[in-house]
Amino acid sequence: MKEQLAGALAAEEAAIWAYGLIGVHLREGSEQNQARAAEDEHRVRRDDLVDRLARLQASTAPTPAGYELPFPVEDRASALKLAVQIEDGVGQAWRVVLPVTENADRTEALSALTDAAVRATKWRKLAKITPLTLIFPGRPTA
Amino acid sequence: MVLTGSVRMSDSGHTRRRVLGASGALAGLVTLSGCGLFDDDPEPAPAPDALQPLLDEALTLAAAHTRVALAQPALAAKLTPLAEAHRAHAVELARVIGTTLPSGGAAPSAATTGADTAAALRKSEQAAQKTAAAACRSAPAERAALVGSIAAARASHAEALR
Repeated sequence: MKEQLAGALAAEEAAIWAYGLIGVHLREGSEQNQARAAEDEHRVRRDDLVDRLARLQASTAPTPAGYELPFPVEDRASALKLAVQIEDGVGQAWRVVLPVTENADRTEALSALTDAAVRATKWRKLAKITPLTLIFPGRPTA
Repeated sequence: MVLTGSVRMSDSGHTRRRVLGASGALAGLVTLSGCGLFDDDPEPAPAPDALQPLLDEALTLAAAHTRVALAQPALAAKLTPLAEAHRAHAVELARVIGTTLPSGGAAPSAATTGADTAAALRKSEQAAQKTAAAACRSAPAERAALVGSIAAARASHAEALR
């Protein structure tokens, strides 16, 4: 379980980092607010994971000094595309937590997967990417 | 008791989906009346798989999306992928349960409940998300990821229908 939780932590860290970059390219107002709210939710999950892993006395990899973007992010369209990709990735990281957890821990992991899928759909709407949903959120596509 | 009830359901010609759609009280009555009358039933049907309600729900939702898409072509582009997703869920659930899907899929006429609007579909997706989330919580490890993805998909469908 530690390994899967560490994976979720890495995904949440990456999401927090990415939203810092995404927000500046979005329209002021509701779009930027949506990015800020998403970043806040990822921070809450990140903090929770740090606590849980500390309780499990698991060592976690340090946050990498830098991330590599999958593509240049320099306008609204690429920022929205990155937001979708980030949320899909967070969903994948949480889905693998489901089989290794039970009860409240599994419920928490399912909330994280579900929230990521819903946020990805919100970003797809703004980006006009169709279909708006994945058939199996969190399932690796490759 | 439950087993006897399900035998009666098939005797009466209703599909399980329709009976599940009926109120719990009605299902209880059927079960009660079955207890005394059918004690001699030789081979009660095996208990349904815990994921069977999820599979039935997926087929019902697929049919509902298809029906609304046919009635309101302007919504078809949005609803068709959702119907396809539910059918894909049903295929996976059937594989895991070890059952076969009803041939021809769910008839578009199946289980009309409430108004056929995007708002009604959204409510159905939200209710179905709750079913799937509960099923995920109680699922054995090897089923948790699939059922979790289905719960998340249903939540994202509800968002897509906003």
